[in-house]
Amino acid sequence: MNDRMAARGPDGSGYWIGADGRIGFAHQRLAIIDLSEGGAQPKASADGSLVITFNGEIYNYRELRAELQARGRVFQSESDTEVLLQLYAEYGDAMVGRLRGMFAFGLWDARQRRLLLARDPLGIKPLYWADDGWTLRFASQAKALLAGGAVSNDPDPAGIVGFHLLGSVPEPFTVWRSIHTLPAGTTLVVDAAGPGAPQHYYDVAGALAARATGRMVDPATTHRQLAAAVHDSVRHHLVADVPVAVFLSAGLDSGALLGSMAQLGARDISAVTLAFEEFRGANLDEAPLAAEVAARYGARHIVRTVDRAEFERDLPAILDAMDLPTIDGINTWFVAKAAHEAGIKVALSGLGADECFGGYPSFVDVPRSVHWLQAVSWIPGLGALVRRGMSAAIHAGLGVHPKAAGLLQYGSSWAGAYLLRRSVYMPWELDDLIDPAMLKEGLRRLAPLRRIGAVLRDGGALGDFDRVAALETSLYMRDQLLRDADWAGMAHSVEIRVPYVDPFFLAALPPGDALAAADAKAAVAGWKGEFLRGVARLGVACLASRLDRPRRRVKRR
Amino acid sequence: MTARILALVGDCYGARGGIARYNRDLVEALAGAGAEILVLPRLGDASGLALPSGVRQWPAVFGQVKFSIAALWAAWRHRPVDIVFCGHVLMAPLALVVARLLGAHCWLQAHGTDVWVDRREVVRRAIEAADMVTTVSRATRRILLEWVNLAPERVRVLPNTVGDQFVPGPPSAALRQRLGIGPGPILLTVGRLAPGDRYKGHELVFACLPALRAEFPGLIHVVAGEGDDRARLEARAAELVPAPGAVRFLGYVADEDLPDLYRLADLFVMPSSEEGFGIVYLEAAACGLRVVGGAGGGAGDAIPDARVGLTVDSSNQAALIEAIGRSLRQGRGDPAATEAYRRPHFAAAARLLLARVQARPCRKRGMP
Repeated sequence: MNDRMAARGPDGSGYWIGADGRIGFAHQRLAIIDLSEGGAQPKASADGSLVITFNGEIYNYRELRAELQARGRVFQSESDTEVLLQLYAEYGDAMVGRLRGMFAFGLWDARQRRLLLARDPLGIKPLYWADDGWTLRFASQAKALLAGGAVSNDPDPAGIVGFHLLGSVPEPFTVWRSIHTLPAGTTLVVDAAGPGAPQHYYDVAGALAARATGRMVDPATTHRQLAAAVHDSVRHHLVADVPVAVFLSAGLDSGALLGSMAQLGARDISAVTLAFEEFRGANLDEAPLAAEVAARYGARHIVRTVDRAEFERDLPAILDAMDLPTIDGINTWFVAKAAHEAGIKVALSGLGADECFGGYPSFVDVPRSVHWLQAVSWIPGLGALVRRGMSAAIHAGLGVHPKAAGLLQYGSSWAGAYLLRRSVYMPWELDDLIDPAMLKEGLRRLAPLRRIGAVLRDGGALGDFDRVAALETSLYMRDQLLRDADWAGMAHSVEIRVPYVDPFFLAALPPGDALAAADAKAAVAGWKGEFLRGVARLGVACLASRLDRPRRRVKRR
Repeated sequence: MTARILALVGDCYGARGGIARYNRDLVEALAGAGAEILVLPRLGDASGLALPSGVRQWPAVFGQVKFSIAALWAAWRHRPVDIVFCGHVLMAPLALVVARLLGAHCWLQAHGTDVWVDRREVVRRAIEAADMVTTVSRATRRILLEWVNLAPERVRVLPNTVGDQFVPGPPSAALRQRLGIGPGPILLTVGRLAPGDRYKGHELVFACLPALRAEFPGLIHVVAGEGDDRARLEARAAELVPAPGAVRFLGYVADEDLPDLYRLADLFVMPSSEEGFGIVYLEAAACGLRVVGGAGGGAGDAIPDARVGLTVDSSNQAALIEAIGRSLRQGRGDPAATEAYRRPHFAAAARLLLARVQARPCRKRGMP
């Protein structure tokens, strides 16, 4: 299993087996914080009663370390891994709520004979597990679990149908029946009776609801808060004992990251931009604008050009590294490849900004659909009837978009309208693609509308902006963007950090309604006037936003 | 906290077979944890039997409607009930209704072919609504999860346990003489001879005997068990194994006589393709006998490692012959490999599962 994940951590590997031989951890290390042996894993507490294998980074580990030291705890190393052990010793499972970072870990408590599995609040780092009733196995990659040879690869209809519907496999499913994703923001305790039910400790809709409570913010304050939040998040995400680079597209989101890094005094910043041979000299080519931005901040600009031949050469490796099927992630593969070639271990990415700042068309389309169509939703069966009728017309070749058929049936609910907006295929279009028995079983278990609707369950009376933000953050960003960033980045031993994907950052932002009113997307760039003027001078500010290439294809505008 | 349990089972005390034995072991383990248990079986007569403290068994009720009425009556009489234990998925809908009426948890037990065969929608829904499902093997669990939508943590494996009487010992010369068996070696199969149990693979062993007897001239196959398929199997044995006396049918062998029979044999063979678990593998191994089981089904859990034996694709006759021959040459197995299946471990696991069911929130307030 561990060998299958060698690329995730080329700097070292370690194993630990419990004294009774009934539990064991393995780890592949990508050394970023505390490059000494003190950061090696699996790591045990000084008395050996706690052992951890940990994937990710804890950005506030220094603050937590100081806090724990003040409480009398003595540290043996400078690593964030040891902070996790000491934090668990101090707070137990509740420790996860104190962590700012991206993480997935397994922590063995020998005294209580229990294993704690945990995953970060927004799902940046993956954690897959398989339980055959005797043995529980967990890993950062589903394919690693399969590689061990003891986990069944029987297909999971729910995961397969989910992939066809949405272009990525919705958690907690995978395409293998025996393998499950530990959902973002949950912990799982395994004791002598086996795994318990996953416990949620973070919910996006709930967090947005808390953020929205009683806070009316004027535009100027919104801009200030936004600036402070981005600045603070970038500052935290620069914590490393190796240089931190940035993936720079022609968009504002990554430009704002670079601007923040420069303002925070980061030196010798490397900025990596992906260009495509086929786009050279065309409007779609991001390299020229990115080069201007990089030059403005004195960054070492690395432009990596990819052509069709390289894509075809890399395709087998891409498919092998792709842990679960996805319709995206190729750009991240190549930009991470470029970073690796340049000797970069860590890079910031602008991923997640669109979910925070309302950068997708769904922020307009979904609420509009719900508000307009709610009036007809009370007529039972009308939507299904219209859909069947229109489907017949579509089959007859009338040139109507297939999704249009489902507008009345799905468009009046938040879950339905979101599915319409984000789906690759709608459920009724899958008849020709998937075996009928598998389709029926998959839809039954997946229950897509119920699953999407559950995202908003803890959100209470969220505003329109926050509802869509919760949906995009909890579904598309988590199941597609973050998962792709992980496998594609780690395949090249590059850690991709995402300052816009951070619960502390989300909580520090103004309420969603204020973000919507202030045009947050533009404000991200605007908070740093120099950067905005630079883009404006180029006369392509709006175009730049549209040309945020690494995510352009999957926005499905 | 003492748990009050209503157990709706196919059979338990006063009945034969692996499922009845499993139910008895589980009831005894739960009673040992302080639970008060009322058992309502469809088969078996417990009158005159000394039941463990805290356990009562009502007379068996076979008919479906009668059993349902009896279950409701038992529920009323045994109230308050914390857990309705259902010992067979066939009764899962009834158990769920009773549990909901009582405001109790529903604990469903799946064995093997019960969940492989009965896939009606009503059964599936009932299984999915259970608070916890336990299975006897990983294979049964995997097969169950192929068609029911249950969170994996709600389906736990509680394998069979093996009784303390199943320990190694010297072969009984008296038994050998009584059975009129020569020096051997002896292949032993223990299992019901029912038309529905042909997956146990008796005929497959018969077919291997001529080839095996070429290497082991005195080899005989002893078949313990009774059932409606016995006459047909005897005919098949005569047809497939020309040597007279090479296959010996013993009929039903009482539980108390099984340890000596295992100790007398040289190899236990049952190339079953659909065994839910196969308690006989475990009993044989616990007596020090090496075991050859069938791949597929839950035999892999009853034969946990090479110290005990192996599983083989029963449809591959050459592989089966090779496996039997090799195992005979290897001699006896290591009974220490079955230590994890002894009663203390089983009881501890049962208690943990009981605590887990009780820790789940009740779904509906029940009768007073």
